Amino acid sequence: MALNRGSSPTSSIFKSSKRSSSTPPTSAASYLSALSQADASLRARRSTTSPSPTAASTPALSFSSLLTSTTEVGEEDNSDGLAVYTTVHTEFGHCYNENYRHVSKHTPGAPVIQDIDQDPPYYILFSTYISYLILIVLGHMRDFLGKRFYPDSYKHIMPRDGYAALNSDFDSFYTRRLKQRMDECFMQPVTGVAGRTIQILDRVTPDYNHTQILLGTRTRALNISSYNYLGFAQAHGGCADAVEEGMKRYGVSTAGARLEGGSTDLHITAEALVAKFVGMEAAVISSMGFATNSTYIPALVSKGCLIISDELNHTSIRFGVRNSGAHVRMFKHNDMKNLEALLREVISQGQPKTHRPWKKILVIVEGMYSMEGTMVDLPGVLKLKEKYKFYLFVDEAHSIGATGPHGRGVADYFGIDPRKIDVLMGTFTKSFGASGGYIAGSKSLIERLRIRGYSGAYAESISPAVLTQIMASMASIMSVATDGPVGPSSSSLSSSTSTLQLPQDFHTLIHPGPISQSSLPTWLTHTLPPSLSSGAEGAHRLQRLSFNSHYLHLGLQKLGFITLGHASSPIVPLLVFNPAKMIMFHRMMKDRKTPIVVVVVAYPATPLISSRVRFCVSASHTKEDVDEVLRACDEVGDVLDLKHGVMANGERRWTVEEVCERAVELVRGYAEAEGGLKKTD
Amino acid sequence: MENASFPLETVETVVLFVAQSLSAVERTFYKLPGSGIIERYVRSSHQNDPGRTFAELIILILVIINLLQSRTRPDRNKKSFLELTEKDIDELVEEWAPEPLSQPLNETEAAELAAVPIVLGPTGPHPTLLNTGKTAINLASLNFTGLAGNDHIKQRALETMRKHGVGSCGPTGFYGTFDVHLNCERDIADFLGTEGAILYSQGFSTISSVIPAFCKRGDIIVADRAVTLAIQKGMEISRSTIRWYDHNDLHSLEEVLQSVEKDRRKRKGPLTRRFIITEGIFERDGSMTDLPKLIELKHKYKYRLILDESFSFGAVGRTGRGLTELYNVPASKIDMLVGSCSIGLCAGGGFCAGSHTVVEHQRINGPAYVFSASMPPLLAVSASEGINVLRNTPSLLVKLHDNIRAARIILDQVDCVSIPSHRASPIIHLYIRATPPSDLLHPSSAAVSAKPSNPSSPVPRDAPVFDIQKEERLLQEVVEEAMAQGVMITKAKRVRGLELTEARPSIRLAMTSALSKADTEKAVNVLAKILRKKLK
Repeated sequence: MALNRGSSPTSSIFKSSKRSSSTPPTSAASYLSALSQADASLRARRSTTSPSPTAASTPALSFSSLLTSTTEVGEEDNSDGLAVYTTVHTEFGHCYNENYRHVSKHTPGAPVIQDIDQDPPYYILFSTYISYLILIVLGHMRDFLGKRFYPDSYKHIMPRDGYAALNSDFDSFYTRRLKQRMDECFMQPVTGVAGRTIQILDRVTPDYNHTQILLGTRTRALNISSYNYLGFAQAHGGCADAVEEGMKRYGVSTAGARLEGGSTDLHITAEALVAKFVGMEAAVISSMGFATNSTYIPALVSKGCLIISDELNHTSIRFGVRNSGAHVRMFKHNDMKNLEALLREVISQGQPKTHRPWKKILVIVEGMYSMEGTMVDLPGVLKLKEKYKFYLFVDEAHSIGATGPHGRGVADYFGIDPRKIDVLMGTFTKSFGASGGYIAGSKSLIERLRIRGYSGAYAESISPAVLTQIMASMASIMSVATDGPVGPSSSSLSSSTSTLQLPQDFHTLIHPGPISQSSLPTWLTHTLPPSLSSGAEGAHRLQRLSFNSHYLHLGLQKLGFITLGHASSPIVPLLVFNPAKMIMFHRMMKDRKTPIVVVVVAYPATPLISSRVRFCVSASHTKEDVDEVLRACDEVGDVLDLKHGVMANGERRWTVEEVCERAVELVRGYAEAEGGLKKTD
Repeated sequence: MENASFPLETVETVVLFVAQSLSAVERTFYKLPGSGIIERYVRSSHQNDPGRTFAELIILILVIINLLQSRTRPDRNKKSFLELTEKDIDELVEEWAPEPLSQPLNETEAAELAAVPIVLGPTGPHPTLLNTGKTAINLASLNFTGLAGNDHIKQRALETMRKHGVGSCGPTGFYGTFDVHLNCERDIADFLGTEGAILYSQGFSTISSVIPAFCKRGDIIVADRAVTLAIQKGMEISRSTIRWYDHNDLHSLEEVLQSVEKDRRKRKGPLTRRFIITEGIFERDGSMTDLPKLIELKHKYKYRLILDESFSFGAVGRTGRGLTELYNVPASKIDMLVGSCSIGLCAGGGFCAGSHTVVEHQRINGPAYVFSASMPPLLAVSASEGINVLRNTPSLLVKLHDNIRAARIILDQVDCVSIPSHRASPIIHLYIRATPPSDLLHPSSAAVSAKPSNPSSPVPRDAPVFDIQKEERLLQEVVEEAMAQGVMITKAKRVRGLELTEARPSIRLAMTSALSKADTEKAVNVLAKILRKKLK
């Protein structure tokens, strides 16, 4: 803990600036204990009235480990607690230690490092295949016997009365015989805010997952599963206040499609703001992230065009591609050599049969891949783009807000001018705690999309409440200049944060700098508290997210797990291989003293062999939360025999205590190694 | 001679050795557990015919090859593949000049985009328009029962925001299903009287996702020729075989159903899933399906019915339950009843109601359900509250239908337009009346008299002829004039060139109970005057 206590010179500036806060020093700690007491008494009351075995067996929600450690830090640094008094600890964890910050940025010229694919020992592979084999054989046997002895329960999957089955026994085999066995990991109903913690509604199944019965009790669990990268999923705080004001002014719905009377001035302002955020000329907003891809891609390409798509692209992209009528080819995930070979082939061969040249070629990649955590090799793609003249579409659903020193996505991370990319797409669900999506590009492209994308003419426009959330959260990342274009010195808070001290080599004054007050509605600038509009909190969130992502990723590796993806990605997949281990992992994490909810993903979302647990780190997690996750993984990993990672350079594995203590060193060391690669390059 | 006998002996030894080792292999094979099954399988497939075994071997090899092939491998073994040298390829790459990604808007398009109404502040019956700077009477927003301005709903949505935040931050399968979503699903199912319902996060994407969840390659879809774009796109994704019947013509539907059945008998094909897909009130023209007759046909020919009630849910029937309430048909008779919470309830998203099997199936197979974040909780609560309001205040529907009637009385007297919409429809489409008025009013009636249309083509036999550009321009003039005079209306916006058949240009009025009858009449009278002036 020596490292934690040691305060850097920047944090002492920080302290002095925060002392002006008039709130009593003990309030955070007392607030927390009050919260835990209230929660515990609620649970105690509930569990006495309910016969639930799960509720009774879990100890009355103890975040004790989290709370005590946080409180320690809190007591120590309470005088300078940042943003404590505007956020609720269960939604957005308080973290005072300035060491637990990191800025993620690519060193220009350095290669893009991803995790190397590590193969597990052969016995793991073998037992995984055997598991699936047993499951399949057993499933078929059960079907065979079941159809003869219990025909009633097979009615819905057999043809009857001249109707073919809605879902035949063959089509639904995987769902019924494999997925249903682990249904407890999916469709878990929740309540409250999907923030740092989430309340799950306890449920039991009396009949092997055919029905799930809600018990009426709740368990508060640490949430390392929601797409809440910047922690803006909050029911309290500056953004929520802004949303309240927005809803009072604009209502819930605008009752119509964008082109048919469903547009308000708020939509226009928000679109301009999004365009500024991503650094493009213009943007169009759609009310659903999935639909952004599925309804706008057909407006970009048509018959006679070619789409080259990464093999791991999201279903919404495939949906749009199929609706467009364009020809599709796929290339190996993130493999630039394969992409180049494919480009050479398709350009030289032209359209199938006729050999006429393609009208246009659109390459679609994702900034960050949701199941792998890998980051696109954007410099590589852009190099190819220069030579092969294709158009580039980058889906930033998971990277916008979450990557780059300014949170502007992959282009920001690599320090590349976003305008080198033709179409930038992203969603607001993940980093901004809202919903919907956008497409940004040149002004003429966006105007064309407005009238040619189906969303404009047919789909409902986005709700003003959601728009306000988007604008408030974006503005707090971008920072609002008080007057004049740049004003970082206006706030002593921001001067202490390191983002604003970054070299000014690639960013111009306009992007990714602060926005002027006129970019927001006046009422919104008045509603946003100074901590948000100064950009201090936005920067704080970005740095915390980056620290947490690196820490969890590297920590798991040091413990000996096999992880995937890029170290700066908030998505951290941990491979578990055997299907039965997925359900056990899920259950063991949930049944801990501090319950943790995790996402497990299996075939068909991943290859058969590489079932995984997917963690989604958030800025709302404190370092202690990540410690807790690492400790839990360490214990569960030992029981389930999951530690099969091979350490580079013959290093030894670390113990979990060592990882927790040397967290800062781990993250900084990685960044130095990454920067050092450039010199050797 | 020695020379000749030597090879003979050698051959003998070799044959002996081969025979011995073969029998050894055979013995070991039979010692293996399960060898009996393999032997039986080989024997039964062999059936004294080496050709069969050979064919099976080839199939096995093909399967292995297929499994080993990667999806991303370039397909060089196609017949038309050209062998090119690296230099040729470089030259071709150098030469290739792609078209621009998008064409800039032309003058008309730009003018139309600039004329799109933009509301300043909240929308409602009397919004302020940014375009004119004045308030207008709103006949454009889809706010049938006035829920968009309902203070109680707004209050409940606010409370939800204070409890759950704005976004759900997760797909439905992974901690994105909130209790309020489940409550909303239950409320919809209770309201309609179905076993269950499932919420999607956008109204438009709902039906596009419901269709491919059920209809797969080889299945048969019989659809109306004038279904909305969302349905067309859903069918495109499904890759099913599609047959078309004339717009809103159930005779034509029956003929198509019969021909499909005949076709199946002839081919002796297996029993596949069959669906009828149509809309309750058509987005394209406001006409209404004869539901009891449709259900009769569906039962007779054993089809499943996917009915899109986006424009009828929350708008027709005594309490706004839609067509099922209007025709007094139990909603459970409709296999998949799709509706929109954003149109009928002024919240957001859409739903599909049906039996438990239907609903649960979509939770795993509906692409827009599985792969999308769930709807913001505050919108789900708004939808639930909207249903409550509808349940408790049937007078809203009465008022809406009074307004519709009042508008129709005025519009019926304008002879330069024709109205294809049903008299109970809350959306009223206005077509420019062409010189021979009869065949444009009911394109289907013309088709009945002649030979039936080709069911495999979406284009009807006697497709009505109209000049899209000219009509669009005229109608746009009407719209702009009306806006200038304080009546907010809109053309039915289309994406030209992306629909299977082009919809006829129209002005789409949306009636609302939020306006008084006097205001409605006033606005429609203004419009009628402009129509008479402009379309003479």
